[in-house]
Amino acid sequence: MKERIAIIDGLRTPIAKAGGKLKEYQAEKLGAFIVQELVLRVGIDFKDYDEVIMGNVSQPGHAANVARVIALQAGFPDKTIAYTVHRNCASGMESITSAASKIIAGDGEIFLSGGVESMSNVPLMYGEQMTELFAALFRAKSISEKLYTLTQFRPRYLKPIIGLMQGLKDPVSGLMMGSTAEILAQDFGISRKEQDAFALMSHKKAEDSIKAGVFKDEIAPIVYAHSKVMEDDDGVRFGQNMEALGKLRPFFDRKNGTVTAGNSSQISDAAAAVVLMSEKKAKAMGLEPLGYLSHFAYAGLDPKRMGMGPAFATAKLFQKHRLNLKDIDLIEMNEAFAVQALANIRAFESDSYAKKHLNRTKALGRIDESILNVNGGAVAIGHPVGMTGTRLVIHTLKELRRRGKNRGLATLCIGGGQGASLILEVE
Amino acid sequence: MKAFDFSLDEGIANLCFDVEDASVNILSFDVLRSLDKKLEELKELEGVKLLKFTSAKEGIFIAGADISDIQGLKDEQCAYDLVREGQRILSKISTLPFPTLAVIDGACLGGGFELALCCDYRLATQNPKTKIGLPEVNLGVLPGFGGTQRLKRLTGLSKALELILAGKILNGKKAEKLGLVDACVPQGYLEFKEKSFIEQILKFPVPKKKRVGSLLDQYLPKLVFYYARKNVMQKTKGKYPAALAILDLFEKTQDKDINAGLEDEARAFSKLSITQTSKNLIGLFYSSEALKKERGVKRRVNPISINIISIIGGGVMGSGIVFLFSKIDKLVRMKLRRYAQAGEAINSISKVYKGFVKRHRLTKNEVENKLAHISYTTGFNGFSQVELSIEAIVENQEAKKELYYELEKVMDDKAIIASNTSSLSISMLSEKMRHPERFIGMHFFNPVARMPLVEIIPGKKTSDKTIATVVALAKEAGKTPIVVGDCAGFLVNRILIPYINESIRMFEEGEDFEKIDKLISDFGMPMGPFVLADEVGLDVGYKVSKVLEEAYGQRMKISGILDKVYHQMQLLGKKAGKGFYLHKGQKREVNEEVKALVFSKRSFDEKEIIDRAILIMVNEAALCLEESIVANAQYLDMAMVMGTGFPPFRGGLLKYADSLGIQSVVVSLQSLSQQQGERFEPAKLLLDMAKNGETFYKEG
Repeated sequence: MKERIAIIDGLRTPIAKAGGKLKEYQAEKLGAFIVQELVLRVGIDFKDYDEVIMGNVSQPGHAANVARVIALQAGFPDKTIAYTVHRNCASGMESITSAASKIIAGDGEIFLSGGVESMSNVPLMYGEQMTELFAALFRAKSISEKLYTLTQFRPRYLKPIIGLMQGLKDPVSGLMMGSTAEILAQDFGISRKEQDAFALMSHKKAEDSIKAGVFKDEIAPIVYAHSKVMEDDDGVRFGQNMEALGKLRPFFDRKNGTVTAGNSSQISDAAAAVVLMSEKKAKAMGLEPLGYLSHFAYAGLDPKRMGMGPAFATAKLFQKHRLNLKDIDLIEMNEAFAVQALANIRAFESDSYAKKHLNRTKALGRIDESILNVNGGAVAIGHPVGMTGTRLVIHTLKELRRRGKNRGLATLCIGGGQGASLILEVE
Repeated sequence: MKAFDFSLDEGIANLCFDVEDASVNILSFDVLRSLDKKLEELKELEGVKLLKFTSAKEGIFIAGADISDIQGLKDEQCAYDLVREGQRILSKISTLPFPTLAVIDGACLGGGFELALCCDYRLATQNPKTKIGLPEVNLGVLPGFGGTQRLKRLTGLSKALELILAGKILNGKKAEKLGLVDACVPQGYLEFKEKSFIEQILKFPVPKKKRVGSLLDQYLPKLVFYYARKNVMQKTKGKYPAALAILDLFEKTQDKDINAGLEDEARAFSKLSITQTSKNLIGLFYSSEALKKERGVKRRVNPISINIISIIGGGVMGSGIVFLFSKIDKLVRMKLRRYAQAGEAINSISKVYKGFVKRHRLTKNEVENKLAHISYTTGFNGFSQVELSIEAIVENQEAKKELYYELEKVMDDKAIIASNTSSLSISMLSEKMRHPERFIGMHFFNPVARMPLVEIIPGKKTSDKTIATVVALAKEAGKTPIVVGDCAGFLVNRILIPYINESIRMFEEGEDFEKIDKLISDFGMPMGPFVLADEVGLDVGYKVSKVLEEAYGQRMKISGILDKVYHQMQLLGKKAGKGFYLHKGQKREVNEEVKALVFSKRSFDEKEIIDRAILIMVNEAALCLEESIVANAQYLDMAMVMGTGFPPFRGGLLKYADSLGIQSVVVSLQSLSQQQGERFEPAKLLLDMAKNGETFYKEG
C-alpha cells in the first residue's frame, strides 16, 4: 500500500453461541450497539465520519443494506453514507480493506468499518415446491381456483430449507464447508485425534485468556434478555478434555469422517468495529492509533479446498511485498476447522506444497506455534462469519501491544475458495 | 378588526379565517359578530353553490373561543346572554341555503370545532398539527356553542360523552374513525382532494347516516349514564362540577330537539362559567401558557442543541431520566457502578416502552430504535462527545463532588453538568469545579415518565447559556421547567416537607394517621401524607428531611416518630412492603406496629388538621416568595400542582390562601403559633399583605 492506514481503536461484543444469549439481537441491533459504543469511546464526532462500511454474510431480509440501518440506529446523522460488503467469512476484513482502498484513493478520510453476524436469526425458508404453490395461490383469481390450487399441497412441501446450512454450503462444488475440511484431512492425512488435540488447545488457551482478562480490552459488555449482562465469550468450554471431544460423532461424514462439532468452529452471534483513517490524518488529529494496516492480499483457490486460503493469500502477500515469515511476531489464523488450521501449518512449511500450489520455489516457512492463535481461536471462541475478520484485526493489534511486539499477520480462509491475509503493525 | 377574507370563485364561497395581528385564530366575540354580519350577507348572495371555511394560519384552523371572554364572566345572566348570542350566530351556518364545509388543517378546538360542527361537512388533514376536540372541561366549563348537542348527533351518546368528559383531543385520522369528520386526507393532497370532495357534494350530496351510536346508546342510555357517572366520580371525587354538569346536561337533553337542547346547554354553561373552580382552572391554564414561553433567562441567549446526554446513576431516577431522553431520540449514555445495573435499568425502561406499544402510542420499530440509542458503561469512557451529563447518584455531597471532578476531566469544557439532587445546594456542590458556570440543578420528580415538573436550579455562578439550554431541553422532552432559587429543598420539597412533618407530628400527638390521610385526600391531594411517605420511601424522605432540618433548624425539625420508624424499626415504605401501612400489591392496611408507637390518643377537629397541614405550606410558600426562590405566585402554584398534585380545582396553594383571605390565614397562623410554636410564625410577606389587604392573585 502507498500509505499505512491507522486503526484508531476497535471494539467487539462478546461472542455468544447461536440461539443463546444474544439471539434477541438482530444483526442491525448488534451492529448498532458496538458501533455506537466505539464511536463514543473514540471521541470523534459522529458527523465527522465519511462513511460506514459493514461486513455481513447472511444479510437479513428486514434490514437490506444492514450497514445503513446500523449507522442510523447507532446515532450517525442522515448524511452519513453506508454500505454493506460481502466476501463470505472475510466480510469483516473486506469492510476494513475497502475503507483502506477508499482512503488511499482520496475517497473519504474517516471510516467506521466492522463486521456483524447474527447466526441465530438466519431464517428458515420454504422449498421450491411450496414457493411455487404460494405463487400459484396469489395468481389464482377465483375462490374455486384458489381451492383447486390448495389441493395440490403436500405436507412434505413444508420441510424448510435451513438458511444457515445453505449459507455454509459452497454453491459451486455443492459441498458443505465441513466436507471441504474432510478433503483437507485426507489431503494431508490429519487424524481425528490430532484435530481434537488442536481443538483442546484452542479451548485451553481461550480459557486461560478469559480468566486472565485478556479479552476485556476488546469486549464491550452487553445487556441481553432485557436485564442480564454478558461480559465474556460463552462458547469456550472450561475444563474441556480429549474424552469429551472423542465422544462426538463426525458431523459431515458419519461413517469415515473426522470433523466433529467439537473440532469445528462454532456458529455464533457477535459484532465488531474499528475506526480507520490515514496515518497522516491520525497524526494531524493528534490521535494515538491502536495500530496500522500496512498490507493486505486476497487470493483465489479451489473451492473444494477453500480452507487453504491462508497459505495462498499469505504467499501472494509475501511475494508482493517481499516479506518473510521471520518478519512476523504474531499470527492469528482463523480456525474454521481444526483440520483446516493444521493443514495450513503443514502447507506453510512444505517446499513441495509451495512449488505445486503457491508458485514458490521454497516453503513459506515453519509457523512457530507459540505465536499462533495465542489466546485460542474460532473453535473455542466461535465464528460469527461476517464479524470474525474484524475481530482478528482488533485482537492481533491488542495482543501485539500486550506483548510489546510490532508486526502481526491476520489471515483466514473464505468459503467459496478464497483466502485473506493482512499485515498489521503497532508502531 | 379584520377576522377573515372572503372570496367567491365559480360559485364556491371561501371564508378564510385570518385574524388580524394575531398568530392564531381565536373565536372571540368580535370575530363572532363580524362573522354574523357576513352570514347575513351571504344568505342574500346570488350564485353561491357552497360555502367553505378555511384558515390562512399555518397549523391552526380555529384554536378555540377566547378564554379571556370566559375568564371575565362574573354574572350568570350575562354569561347566559353572551353564550346564547354565540349559539345564535353559529346556528346561522346550519340554516344557510347551500351546503357548508369546514376544511380543518390545523388546531380545531373548543369553539373552533363547534363552528365546524355547524357545517354540513368536515374535511380534516393528516397534518400532525390537526387536532380536533372539545377540551372545555379542562377549564371547568362545558362546550357552550352547541358542542354538546351537535357532537352527540354525529357520534352517538357514549362517544360524545367520553370525548367531552375527558376533553379528549384527536388527530385527523382518529377523528375520522369516530365520525367527527367526514374524511381525513394527507395534507399534501389537500388541494385536489378538497376539490373532488366539493365536486362530489355538489353532484350527490352524501346522504346523512340515519342512526348513530351503539345499540346501548339507543336502547339503554340509562346504563351509559350510570357507568359514565361512576367513572367521573372515581376520577374526580366529585370535586369538578363541570364533569357532573355535562352528565346532567346530556341526561336532561337526551330526548329534546336541538333548540331546547341549546338553551339547556347555555344555562349549564353560564352556571359553570362563574364558578371559582372554573376561574381557578383557567388561572392555571394561563400560568402554564406563560411557562411555555419562559426561556429561564432574561437576556436573549441561544440554547446549545443537545444530542448526546449521559446519565450517571442507575436508580429509579436515573433510569427514568434515561427513558425520558431516549424517548425524544437523544443518544443516552448511562454510567453505572456495575454492568448488572445496566440490565436492571434497561429492563425497567423496556417495560415503560412496552406500555407505549400496547397503547399504540409508539410502534415496536420506533421503540427498537429508541432503545438502540441507549449505551452503558462503568467507566468514564465515551464522555468526550457528551454535551450534557445529568448526575443522579446518592444524596452525598462528597460522592457528588468527586464525580464532578472526574466528569470535568473527561468532558468538553463547554459541556453542561447537571445534578438531579433533591436537596443539596447547587452553589455548594460546584464550589471546587473548574467551570462552575456550566453546572446547574435539574430536579426531576418521580416517576419521571409521568411527572411534568422539572425544577431548574442555577447556582451563583451558573451561566445564562447553561440555564437557557436545560430549560429548552426540558421543554423539548415535554416537561414544564420552572427556574427556582438555590436553597435547601429548592421549591417543592421545601414546601412539602413541613407538611409531612406536621402531619407526622399530629400523629405523634395522638391522632390516627389514617384519619389524617383521609381528610387530606378529601381536601383534594392525590394521596395523604403518610401514603405519600410510604410511596416515596421512608429512607429517601428521611434523608431529604434531614438536609432541610439542618438548613432551616427548628422550623423543619424531624418528628421523633419518623426517626423511630426509620432508624429503629428500619421500615422503608412501599418498596419493602412495610411503612406506615402494610402494602400488599395495590392494597394497603394500617401497620399496627407503627400505630403502637403512640400511646395516648387524641382527636383533632377537621379544620385544625387541614389548617396545620396546609397552612404550614402556605407560610413556607410565602417565605419562598419573600426570598425570591421563584418568580411569582402563579409559577409557585403551578409547581405545587405539577410536583405534588396539589388539587388543580383549588387553583394552587396560594390561590387557596387567597380564597381563605390573607387576613384569616394570618389569624389562623398566629393562633397556631401560640399553641404549637414558632414554626407557624406568619411570614413577613403575609403580615404585610394582610395589613394592606392584598392577595397573591390580582383578580378572580
